[in-house]
Amino acid sequence: MRAADAAYAIGPAAPRESYLNAARIIEVARRSGATAIHPGYGFLSENADFAQAVAEAGLVFVGPPAAVQRLLGEKTAARRLARVAEVPVAEGTEPLTDVAAARVAAANIGYPVLLKPAGGGGGKGMRMVRKEDELETAWRAATGEATTAFGQPALYIERAIWNARHIEMQILADNTGNVVWLGERDCSVQRRHQKLIEETPGPSVGDGLREELGAAAVRIARAAKYENAGTVEFLVGGDQHFYFLEVNTRLQVEHPITEMVTGLDLVALQLRIAGGEPLPFAQADVVRSGAAIECRITAEDPRAGFLPASGVIALVREPAGPGVRVDSALYAGMTVPTEYDPLLAKVIAYGRDRIEAIARMRRALEEMRVSGVPTSLAFHRSALFHQDFVTGRYDTGFIEHWDARIAPELSAGATSAAALAAVLATRARGERHTLPPADAPWARAAREDALR
Amino acid sequence: MRYEVTLDDRRVRVELGDHGRFTVDDRAVAASVRETVRGRQWSITLAGESHEITVVTHDPLRLDVDGNDVRATVIDERALRANRGAAGTRTGRIELRAPMPGLLKAVHVKEGDHVVADAPLATLEAMKMENELLAPSAGRIAKVRATAGAKVEAGAVLIVIASE
Repeated sequence: MRAADAAYAIGPAAPRESYLNAARIIEVARRSGATAIHPGYGFLSENADFAQAVAEAGLVFVGPPAAVQRLLGEKTAARRLARVAEVPVAEGTEPLTDVAAARVAAANIGYPVLLKPAGGGGGKGMRMVRKEDELETAWRAATGEATTAFGQPALYIERAIWNARHIEMQILADNTGNVVWLGERDCSVQRRHQKLIEETPGPSVGDGLREELGAAAVRIARAAKYENAGTVEFLVGGDQHFYFLEVNTRLQVEHPITEMVTGLDLVALQLRIAGGEPLPFAQADVVRSGAAIECRITAEDPRAGFLPASGVIALVREPAGPGVRVDSALYAGMTVPTEYDPLLAKVIAYGRDRIEAIARMRRALEEMRVSGVPTSLAFHRSALFHQDFVTGRYDTGFIEHWDARIAPELSAGATSAAALAAVLATRARGERHTLPPADAPWARAAREDALR
Repeated sequence: MRYEVTLDDRRVRVELGDHGRFTVDDRAVAASVRETVRGRQWSITLAGESHEITVVTHDPLRLDVDGNDVRATVIDERALRANRGAAGTRTGRIELRAPMPGLLKAVHVKEGDHVVADAPLATLEAMKMENELLAPSAGRIAKVRATAGAKVEAGAVLIVIASE
């Protein structure tokens, strides 16, 4: 809001009364004189009814039209479309509405299986089920989440692919039938099917696989008569076989890494396409160079099972320097709310190659400070040194194998300094409740030192 | 005043003396201490090494020490003396508390039920996710203090388990 030219209140914090209130958003757009609505990557970005309502209101929706969203938003329909486009899909079912049917289907496919909402993707409401006696609990949680997130409880079952990598392909399509692919992103570092680190190029993706994934993504886009920016998600097994997962009919959170290596501004291109302009380049003009990594800094405590946290941000220091980009909403005094995703900031590092990108990311994460809520920083810092990450030999099991109990090694000096700061912090806190002892000697010493 | 500080699994004794002097594990430490953000961040130089310590959260105390995440506790000598008497008295009642504010979607147990450790007791919706709250230990459900559909605050006691 601070960066905006104008701001209009759309309602209270509860998403249903604000960000999911389509009529209110359209009314505000009219009042402000806007001619188009960019839905971002949140609440309404994959909502076909919203896209339709925007179009019917005579405004431009920046994204694929409602019919395309409806087709690809029904995840089992999207799987059928992929098969027609001759793109492999993992074994799975049509939408199921009760746990008894799920039990039969899961037994047929063979555990482990994934429960996925039929009404929408993005990992929300998705559950891995390893054996039959986990099915009922998982079903209950997943249908509940699916209802909250997508307004429908139906789930479908898909065979879980072990040691798979989550690789997605960025596409752009204009309104005249041009479709290009811009390159892949490896998003295998996930927790609860929510991504925490993404990188491009995928360290395991060779030129051959990249071309195949690009061509498959374009075939699906053409079959769906896709328009605007989109992402086709795949699972790639250890044997390099790939399976279509879903199409995200919006800009992705991790789009900056593709921008870093292609030099393209994806949001600007989205606006051009929505305005009816043809793509200003062809597939052969797309040049990728270097490597980019994104770390999603979230308000989750990696040392407590990534439990989401809320609170007030007391201080923020964001990293900077060559090749470092930070897309962030953080500021001191900000309340981290419980109503939305726990994403606080995205730290993006670019390098001429992967080694340089990793080095810059390590330095950036070390520089960053957030005070007020526990964040995922501790995870990200250690992940960037983890052998499996450094060698690029990681898969979607990475976080499960990451040991949150490892206490960091502190030098003797750091230990002394930390112990002293712990005491000072505790005393400082106590003083806010009582009267401050103005002449505490250690405080005076600190002040005197500061004046030196 | 003397303090016992734990930093993850390390124990350190700190004594704050007069004139800004202090000792760590009974050794006098020469340091320059700057409070860079009030009550939140300190820049401490000792023996030519510069360290930056940021409070991540106060309660429980979490520190960022030069980019390392450290869990800390601080007990002063008075509390230390007071605590010694109370230690070891376990009540056998274990509380399941809401780890964050949210909407209690479901309670899967009723009073009198016997549960095993890690059994799902309730579902809490927060941050667009459903979180299964698991039994911290085996036992009998002694009390269910919250009902499905209720908004709960962080730390609210939801269920009490009597260990057996």
